[in-house]
Amino acid sequence: MDLSLNETQKLIQDATKDFVRGACSREILVKLDRNKNVDVMATYWKQMSEMGWTGMAIPEQYGGSGNSLLDVAVLFEELGTGPVPGPLFSSAVLCARILLETGSEAQKKALLPDIASGKRVFALAFTEVQYGWSEDSIRMKAKKEGADYVLSGTKLFVDDAEYASDLLVVAGIEGGAGVSLFRVDAKAKGVSIRKLEGFMTAKSEVIFDNVKVSGSDLVGAAGGAWAGLDKGMLAAIPVLCAYKVGGCKKVFDISIAYAGERKQFGQVIGRFSRVQDHLINLVNHLDAARWTTYEALWKLDSGQDAASSVHIAKAVSSESYLNACDYGHEVHAGIGVVREYGLTLYTKMSRSLYHSLGAPKYHRKRLEKELKLVA
Amino acid sequence: MDFAIEDSPEQTEFRKEVRAFLETAVPPGITHTVDAANQPREQYELRRDLGRKLGAKGWLYPHMPKEYGGSDMSSDEVMILNDELTRIGLALPPYYDSGGRMGGPSILVWGTEEQKKRLLTPIFRGEVRTWQLLSEPGAGSDLAGIKTTAIRDGDHYVVNGQKMWVGSAHGAERSWMIVVTDPKGERHKNLSWIMVDMSLPGITVTPMETLATGGEGGAGGGCKNTVFFDNVRIPAENLVGGENNGWKVATTHLEVEHGGTGRLQDRRVIGEFIDYCREKHNGFAIADDPDAREQIAEMFIEGEVMRLFAVRNHWLSHTNQPRSYEGAQYSLRRKLGSLDISERMLRIAGPYALTTDERWAPLQGAIEYFQRDGITSLHPGATTDIQKVIMARRMGTGGREREQAGKLR
Ligand SMILES: Cc1cc2nc3c(=O)[nH]c(=O)nc-3n(C[C@H](O)[C@H](O)[C@H](O)COP(=O)(O)OP(=O)(O)OC[C@H]3O[C@@H](n4cnc5c(N)ncnc54)[C@H](O)[C@@H]3O)c2cc1C
Repeated sequence: MDLSLNETQKLIQDATKDFVRGACSREILVKLDRNKNVDVMATYWKQMSEMGWTGMAIPEQYGGSGNSLLDVAVLFEELGTGPVPGPLFSSAVLCARILLETGSEAQKKALLPDIASGKRVFALAFTEVQYGWSEDSIRMKAKKEGADYVLSGTKLFVDDAEYASDLLVVAGIEGGAGVSLFRVDAKAKGVSIRKLEGFMTAKSEVIFDNVKVSGSDLVGAAGGAWAGLDKGMLAAIPVLCAYKVGGCKKVFDISIAYAGERKQFGQVIGRFSRVQDHLINLVNHLDAARWTTYEALWKLDSGQDAASSVHIAKAVSSESYLNACDYGHEVHAGIGVVREYGLTLYTKMSRSLYHSLGAPKYHRKRLEKELKLVA
Repeated sequence: MDFAIEDSPEQTEFRKEVRAFLETAVPPGITHTVDAANQPREQYELRRDLGRKLGAKGWLYPHMPKEYGGSDMSSDEVMILNDELTRIGLALPPYYDSGGRMGGPSILVWGTEEQKKRLLTPIFRGEVRTWQLLSEPGAGSDLAGIKTTAIRDGDHYVVNGQKMWVGSAHGAERSWMIVVTDPKGERHKNLSWIMVDMSLPGITVTPMETLATGGEGGAGGGCKNTVFFDNVRIPAENLVGGENNGWKVATTHLEVEHGGTGRLQDRRVIGEFIDYCREKHNGFAIADDPDAREQIAEMFIEGEVMRLFAVRNHWLSHTNQPRSYEGAQYSLRRKLGSLDISERMLRIAGPYALTTDERWAPLQGAIEYFQRDGITSLHPGATTDIQKVIMARRMGTGGREREQAGKLR
C-alpha cells in the first residue's frame, strides 16, 4: 500500500497551484462571480487548453494525453481550491468519458480531438423539469423522421450549457424503450440556452423546439445508451468529487489561518475550544471526502468494480462540502459573509454542485442495490 | 396550561379592528416581499408610511408605555397584532429598526424621564428609524473591546472611530451606539450609550455587499454599512444611563437582541414552502415523493421547536417573569435550526431551491434567499458559540454562580 502521489501527479499539482494563484486569484474569482459582464471563458479557457488540461482524460489515439483518472483528479482538486468555474469538467471529463463509452469509432475520431484541443466545449443535457439523475427521470422524447430525429422539450439546471458549443442530449425515442444520446449543436435552430440566476453557478435552462438532429449524431444505440452513459458518469463522478475535496481543503486552510490571526478577548480565536470544534468538524468532513474519493479513483484506474465506491464518494463529498462551508462560516463569523472576502464562493459552489450527477440520496439508493438490500 | 391565543369577546373585537385597519393602511406591493436586501427606495418609503400610521395608534411598539407612544398592550393583544401582520407577510415594525427594537427597551430601563419622553416617543411613533451600532472591525464577540471614543467637550461628546455591520439600505435618522467614554478606564467600566443624529457633520456611511442580511427579511434589512465618525459633536444630553455605565445598559440591549423577548412572526417561509410542496408545480408535486415527505416532516418539527421557544420567551418577558438562559437558547436554536431547515429545503427541492429565475423559482425566490440567509443569520447578535457561553453562565455550570438575565423593564 502507498497512498502518496507519484511524481507526475506532484508536477500536475504544482502547475495547477501556480495557475490558481495567478490567473484565478480570489480577487479575480470574486469579480467573475459578482460581475455579470466578465467572461469566464475569455479569462482562462485558452490557457487551460494550452496547458493540455482539456485532453488529460482522453486517450492518446483520440488526441488526448491519456492520463489516469487519478491524474485528472489531482488537477481538479487544485482547481476546486479556486474554486475555478468553467466547463472543463463537463466537457473534457464528463462528456469525453461518455463519448468514449458510447460513441462509434467515427464519432470518437471526429469529436474527441476537438474536445482535447479545447475547440469544442461539450455539456451534458440530462436533467429535466422533474429533476433527477436516474434513467427513469428522462421523460423527453425524440421523434424519428426518416434517418433523422426531431427533439422537443426542456432540459433544466444543465451545468455549463452557457459555455457549450455542443450538447450531449439524453432522451428517449417515441415508440421505443430506453434512452438515447444525441449530439446537438448548441447554436442549432430551435435550441435556446438561458442561464439561470441565483445562489448557484453556471446552470441553464435549455429548450429544444423542433430541433433537427441528423441520424449520424445519434451516439450509441437507439434506446441503448444507458449502460455506456452510466459507465461514463461513474468514471467522471470521482473527478467532480476531487474538485469538492479541493473546495473543502481551501475552506479549511482559510479557516485555520483566520483562527490563528483573529483576536478577540485578547487572544487568537483558535484557542477557544468552541472554535476548535468547528475546525475539527471541518477537517473531518475534508478527510472523509478525500479518502472516499481517492479510493474510488484507484478502483476505477485499476479496473476493479468501483460502483459502490463511486456512490459512497459522491454521497460523502456532496454532504461534506456543504458542511465544511458551514463550519468555515462559524469560524469566520461576520467577515465570512462579506462577498469580497471570498468564502462565499465556496459556499455557493457547495450548494451548486450538491445535486450535480446525483445528490447523496440518489447515490445512497444506488448503494442499496450494490449492497443487495433491494433487487 | 393553555397555549391557545384565545380571543376573548373584547379581543375578537380587537382582531376585527386590527384587520380593518390593516386593510386600509397597508398599500399594495409591500407584503410578502422576498429579498429584503434588494428592496427599492419606494418600497421602503411605503413601509415607513405604514410605520407612522401604526405609530400614531400606538401599535408600532404596542407593548411599550402609552406615555412614550406605545399602548401598554397585553401580551395576548400583541400576539393578535403580530398575527394579523404575519398573515399579510409583514412584521412589527414593518421596516428595519434595530436601534428602536433594542435601544427602546434599553432607554426605557436606563434613561431619565426627560430622555424617555424625548428619545423614545419619535421611535415608538414611527417618526424616526434608528440603527444599532455596536460592532467594530476589531470587536465583534468581544463587544467590550470597542475602540470608538466619545470624549466630553463642554456640552458635547466628540466621537471618533469606525462601526461595522451597520443597519440597512436607505439610511436612518438616528443611531443608538455604544462608545468608549473613558479610554484609560478599566474594561467594562469605560463604556456608554449615546443617541446619534445621523445628519450631523463628520459621519460617512459606506455600504458593503454581504451574502444576505441575516434573519431580518420580514422587517426589511437591506445591506450592511461601515460608518465612520470624524470629530462628530453630539449633545451630552443624548448619553443614556450615565457616563461609563454602558456595560449595564448593554445587558438590556443584548437580552432583547439575543431573543429574550421571543419573536412571534417566525420564519414564515417554512409554511409557505410546505404549501408549495403540496401543490403541483410544473406538472408534479414535490410531496408525491415519500422521501421528500419525510424530510418535510422533519423540517417542520424543527420549525415547531423554534417557534415554541419563541412563544415561551414572549410569554416570559411579557408577563414579567424571571428568565435565565432562555433568550440565548432560543437564539441558538433559531440560528442552527434555520440553517438546518434551509439545507433540508435544498435536499427536498433540488436546484430549484437555488434559483431566483422568474419562471422556475419557488415562492418568487424566497427559498433561494433563505439558502443565503440561513448561513448569514448565524452571526448577527452573537455567534452560536457566544450563545452557548451565555447559556452555560446562566445555568451556573460547574457550580459557578448563575449570571442574571438582562433587565427588560
Ligand atoms: C448580517 C449581519 C448583521 C449584523 N448586524 C449588526 C448590527 O446591526 N449591529 C452591530 O453592531 N453588529 C452587527 N453584526 C455584527 C455581529 O454582531 C458580529 O458579526 C458578531 O457579534 C460576531 O463578531 P465577529 O464577526 O467579529 O466575529 P468574531 O468575534 O471575530 O468571532 C470569530 C469566531 O470566534 C468565536 N469566538 C469569539 N470569542 C469567543 C469566545 N469567547 N468563546 C468561544 N468562541 C469565541 C466566534 O464564535 C466565531 O466563531 C452583524 C453581523 C452580520 C453578519
